Amino acid sequence: MEVVLHLPVVPNVELVAAKAVETLGDALGMHQTHVEAASVAIVEACLNAMEHGGGRVVVRLTGDEDSGRPCLVIEVEDNGAGFDPATVPANAASRVLGCASKRGWGLTLIRELMDDVQIRSRPGQTLVWMCKYGESGP
Amino acid sequence: MNEDKINLSKDLMPNGIGVISAEGYINNEGGQAIADAATELMDSGCSTLLIDLEGTRIINSIGVSILLEIMEKLLEEKGRLAFCNLTPTISKTFEIMGLVQYATMYPDRETATSELTGHATG
Repeated sequence: MEVVLHLPVVPNVELVAAKAVETLGDALGMHQTHVEAASVAIVEACLNAMEHGGGRVVVRLTGDEDSGRPCLVIEVEDNGAGFDPATVPANAASRVLGCASKRGWGLTLIRELMDDVQIRSRPGQTLVWMCKYGESGP
Repeated sequence: MNEDKINLSKDLMPNGIGVISAEGYINNEGGQAIADAATELMDSGCSTLLIDLEGTRIINSIGVSILLEIMEKLLEEKGRLAFCNLTPTISKTFEIMGLVQYATMYPDRETATSELTGHATG
């Protein structure tokens, strides 16, 4: 199963990607909690891509099975300036409390909520690849 | 699951607890709507705030960042912030973003109001 979305940069379009995750995750028989975690992760990846990518965002969703476990693979691609993922530290409450800006949680949430995350970025192309495994729902 | 508009209601209970119920997407607009409701309750003298997220299944970090601001404001005024009816994913997101360290999480509104009442009236 595969879904490909070409998202324009318009308000709340990230919910289209979240809805696709929900539909595919349900079709795979994934537990609702795992689907919701993947939904939040894809929302964050799309918001990052729209904020830093500067143009259209491409989302690819693939439903598969790995050793009998359902597996949802998500790719979010943009054509922005790129960045070095190694230089983006994990955010923490202690870093933002007391500060005017409390932003900068996207990659931290993606890494915590998904089972596997890989980021490839160079000038003109950033690809966030992430995977969520899920047991069958109750 | 993906309601893009938030549906809010707020109430100041006789025991002094301000309750905000939020259903829908907590993004920048949803977070700001909750913040505005919280400010109105705090301006009415409420220092114990319960945010009920039953019906909310999708959030983003910008919206939760605004909830962090509400929490800071309440803590500065020696108040108390609590949440109830969180999905496991929203609960984990709050844990990652530090809300769990400073706010209290309850499974449902009945438990929350029962346990918060002593604090609000004491």
